[in-house]
Amino acid sequence: MSKLYTFLKYFFITFWTVFVVAPFLWAVSTSFKDFQSVNSKVTYIPWLDFEPTLEGWRVLIKSPAKGGVDIVEPYFNSIFVTCTASLISIFLGTLAAYALSRFTFKAGFVRNNDITFFFISQRIMPPIVLSIPFFIFLSTIGLLDSLLGLVVVYIVLLMPIAVWIMVDFFNRVPKELDETALIDGCNPYQAFYKVVLPNSIPGLIVAGMFCIIFGWIDFFFAFILTFTEVQLLPVKVVALNSSITPWWSLSASALVSVAPLIIVAFIVERYLSKGNLSGALK
Amino acid sequence: MEEQMAKIDLSKISHTYNPLDPKPTYALNPFSMTWENGKRYAILGPSGCGKTTMLNIVSGLVRPSKGEILFDETPVTDLKTEDRNIAQVFQFPVIYNTMTVYDNLAFPLRCREFTKEKIEERVKEVSDTLNLSSFLNSPARKLTADQKQLISLGRGLVREDVAAVLMDEPLTVIDPDLKFRLRRNLKEINEQYKTTLVYVTHDQNEAMTFAENIIVMDQGEIVQVGLPKDLFEKPKTTFVGYFIGSPAMNIFHSTVSSDHEVKINDTTIKTNSNLGNLKDKNVKLGIRSEFIELAEKEKSNTVKIKLTRVEDFGNFKLLTGKMGDLVIKSKVEREKPIPDGELNLYFPPEKCCVYSDEKLV
Repeated sequence: MSKLYTFLKYFFITFWTVFVVAPFLWAVSTSFKDFQSVNSKVTYIPWLDFEPTLEGWRVLIKSPAKGGVDIVEPYFNSIFVTCTASLISIFLGTLAAYALSRFTFKAGFVRNNDITFFFISQRIMPPIVLSIPFFIFLSTIGLLDSLLGLVVVYIVLLMPIAVWIMVDFFNRVPKELDETALIDGCNPYQAFYKVVLPNSIPGLIVAGMFCIIFGWIDFFFAFILTFTEVQLLPVKVVALNSSITPWWSLSASALVSVAPLIIVAFIVERYLSKGNLSGALK
Repeated sequence: MEEQMAKIDLSKISHTYNPLDPKPTYALNPFSMTWENGKRYAILGPSGCGKTTMLNIVSGLVRPSKGEILFDETPVTDLKTEDRNIAQVFQFPVIYNTMTVYDNLAFPLRCREFTKEKIEERVKEVSDTLNLSSFLNSPARKLTADQKQLISLGRGLVREDVAAVLMDEPLTVIDPDLKFRLRRNLKEINEQYKTTLVYVTHDQNEAMTFAENIIVMDQGEIVQVGLPKDLFEKPKTTFVGYFIGSPAMNIFHSTVSSDHEVKINDTTIKTNSNLGNLKDKNVKLGIRSEFIELAEKEKSNTVKIKLTRVEDFGNFKLLTGKMGDLVIKSKVEREKPIPDGELNLYFPPEKCCVYSDEKLV
């Protein structure tokens, strides 16, 4: 029984690893191929099966005038928009979540849970519903096709995630912790940032990770709300496609696109494995 | 350092958690009380009787619906918790996980901007008292539950200038041996620094051994305030009789037969209470099992019981017997021979308490 279990366990792990890693290996190998190697027979091993070339990667940094696509600027645009919107969302979302977790709000039939649900409902709504209002709003305030406009929109999209995660997290932090801090001589603000917040770092990391992921991968709003002045990475990667699919540069751009997320995942994984995210308060 | 310990007056305090309700239920019914500076108090009562609400009102975590709190005649009802200079320890350990043990103990002093030297001196003193000296540099989250509770306790005791240290069943998670030692330490701290200590518990032994004054509460009401001896010998209500003492006080339905006598079933019992106004009324007679004596033969103030059970507790024997429907418990010395079958039990008149409408006559 235990042998069968071990066998099945390792079989499943191996299968899953191949399932996850294979597309990456395929993308890595394809990014070093040229038109010939991609479109003729199936090849896998560089130098033996095909002659590797850096052309797929070079295209990404060459200016369009020289026949490249130049994803450097969109890349930094994406980093700027994602990081700024995530930081602001986490800051505002954490404050809102703390208030929702610790104080009782009443307005007609509306209670704390309704307010929290209102935040979450922003994520449940199909994005298409928001596209026209966002478009009109940004064009009215003159922020269409600008980084600042995108930051504003992304804050709206990311803050619900931060609120949702942090409300749940703060609810698990005992109220006595705040009360003890007050008794020890902190005012409510000091109690929040000296005591409650340091205890909530794991929650902040998880919320930050989700904000970064959702901000980084958004294509829809980046596509609708920008034209020529500003482009974000997902839009630029899609724009690489043409009548002849350039698999090599698409693969290279896909790899550089997921690189930041892989780095974030590694950092968070270290936290997870140290057990810092679970049982922070017992 | 400025002396800040204070006399605490609770004047006509009452509290409800649903004030907007047309018929609010009160967690605390109106009461007034004074906590003298430097004394040890225990608040004793079953769960949900309003003990914690009372502590939270004093520390400012809860604002009373009605009434006023005064520290040394100065009203503090509207003062925020952080400005009240009260220390409070909760039932379960509350520690700052991200800090070391030293930083945890130093936190209340740092918040109040004490000098570094003073902080070091106080933390050392408190950590020595609580056996935490060897852990000072460890992260607080790595300690065991009882060590964590010692940290909570330490944070309460680290300030010498507090008006009072309020403790809400602080020793629940601590093992019995350490519990005993800590209670003694708390007493010593109280005697040495004259810090007012208020200790909430539902354990009567803890209350009896710790406090000079015991406040017994039931259903939001203060039923008796007094010395451990008074609570034991002269419980003011049948509730206190039931709640204090193990086993609970023997309480029997009875009828007043004369100025000083009541009848249980057909047996007349003489008491020292003046029952002139209650002639022929139904009352209750209460007597502690410790005060009931074995009588060799039937005489006045004895009842005849049929012995149903004898339990040996090591230092005493607990006899349980029946007189008709009534169950009577009596504690007797372990060495005393117990005859089988029927027994005569003597009720000393001075130890008999008579209750009319559940209140002591």
